[in-house]
Amino acid sequence: MPMRTARTLLVLVGLALTGCGLYGIATDPYIDLTHHPLDIARWAIGGLVLHDGLWLPLACLAGVTIARTTPVRTGLIVAAAVSAVALPAVLRAGHHNGNPTILPLPYLRNWLLVLAAIAVITAAWSVVSHLRRGRRRRP
Amino acid sequence: MDDDTPAPRRKPYDLPLPTPPDALRRGPLREGTFTSALHEPRTAVVIGRWLGAALLTCFLTGLLSHLLQQPPGWLRDHLPSRPVNGYQVTQGLHVISGIAAIPLLGAKLWTVYPRLFEWPPARSVLHALERLSIAILVGAMVLEVFTGLLNTLQWYPWPFPFRQTHFWLAWLAVGGLLLHIAAKAPLIARHWRRVRPGLAQRRAFLTAVTASVGVVTLTTAGQSVPWLRALDLFAPRRPDVGPQGLPVNRTAVQAGTSTASAENWQLTVQGPHPIRLTLADLAQLPQTTAELPIACVEGWSASAHWTGVRVRDLLDLAGAPADAHVQITSLEKDGPYRVTDMPAGYARDPLTLLALRVNGQVLDPDHGYPARIIAPNRPGVLQTKWVTRIEVL
Repeated sequence: MPMRTARTLLVLVGLALTGCGLYGIATDPYIDLTHHPLDIARWAIGGLVLHDGLWLPLACLAGVTIARTTPVRTGLIVAAAVSAVALPAVLRAGHHNGNPTILPLPYLRNWLLVLAAIAVITAAWSVVSHLRRGRRRRP
Repeated sequence: MDDDTPAPRRKPYDLPLPTPPDALRRGPLREGTFTSALHEPRTAVVIGRWLGAALLTCFLTGLLSHLLQQPPGWLRDHLPSRPVNGYQVTQGLHVISGIAAIPLLGAKLWTVYPRLFEWPPARSVLHALERLSIAILVGAMVLEVFTGLLNTLQWYPWPFPFRQTHFWLAWLAVGGLLLHIAAKAPLIARHWRRVRPGLAQRRAFLTAVTASVGVVTLTTAGQSVPWLRALDLFAPRRPDVGPQGLPVNRTAVQAGTSTASAENWQLTVQGPHPIRLTLADLAQLPQTTAELPIACVEGWSASAHWTGVRVRDLLDLAGAPADAHVQITSLEKDGPYRVTDMPAGYARDPLTLLALRVNGQVLDPDHGYPARIIAPNRPGVLQTKWVTRIEVL
């Protein structure tokens, strides 16, 4: 399919789906946009501002300061991903609204254990790559 | 991402916009703010492909779940009750791909972050619109994965309804994604194939992102994938934790049914020959045992051996025609799933039971004592508990 046709098709379908989403949000009786016009927009913009205005500057800063080697950078990336997924459970542990089958695990302990494992692997990897580099320098 | 900039041919209808005075180009808008070599298109294309695959999987499985939960009239009589674990697989995949999208989205947004500060901010009206669509795409996407993740913990700190918002935002996000792919198509095509020698830093970054996806998947997927259960560290459910070794979505106390007792309970089957059955009457009817999963919209699932009376036997007793579609009412005081519809395809399935026992024991109140519906290939919210009435429509 020529590029031009593909792009036209993508634009048309993309606009249709976007329109569908906007129409749905505007007309859904449970969302009730007439009485709560800004609730969703506020949370979407809030997420955008926190992510692009706070989290990414911090990540970039870490990249040029502490995360200067591959092992450390990899360790921090994996730790950040694990934390993003685990933190809600860590923060919410114990809140089950009377249903103890929700959040039944020791999430704080598990999170700290995984972070510790990442730290150990990162440290070991750093040492190994340091030693290798040293050996390469001495012919 | 320098190779995007050789001024694209301007279309006649695309009005150019003036470049703001250079004095305004401060802070991150200045050139050279971002020093990593990985803020470049090839990295964005590789991660974008993975993210695109995860999001598409998430969108399609989510759409399927929505259709199964609230089938439109034209579809209702064509929903298949096979494969038995179909919904378990698709909804497990929905949550797995959604969680995998979290590190992928983070990596993608980090890669293209300098583009947020490109100069001039808008070359033309079309360019300004494209950037606006990216803001909508990212805003919808971030809120979508955030609400999805928190919903798996039944945590709702926002003021809007979860299900409807999550559903409509998905259309917005996927629409924005397609527009984004259309806008970037030439750039994507230029960087689709690997150029050797590759960038060593890129390989290290992609390895880190792959490891991130691997770790978050392995530590959460155990809530729906039995052989990963031992690695389930962060999922909000364990498929073997709960009364009778099964999780619960809504307890008897939460549903206001904890006072249901066998003495005053009766099942009404409303049809051409209405019948009323006590628990003892039901126990006298032929019993069937089936291994069926409970698969929740929140991603967890667990299989169990359910024993009870086939729904189709009850319908036959009430003289229902073979194509009858039925309505099931629970003792629950309220809730959106107190009354549910069951199309004929499920009602006639030999594995669809009004279960009285699970794994050989009488149902726990939290699992729907005295009797609950369990049917193959259905979302958990439609497996009505504390059944009191089955009505032939």
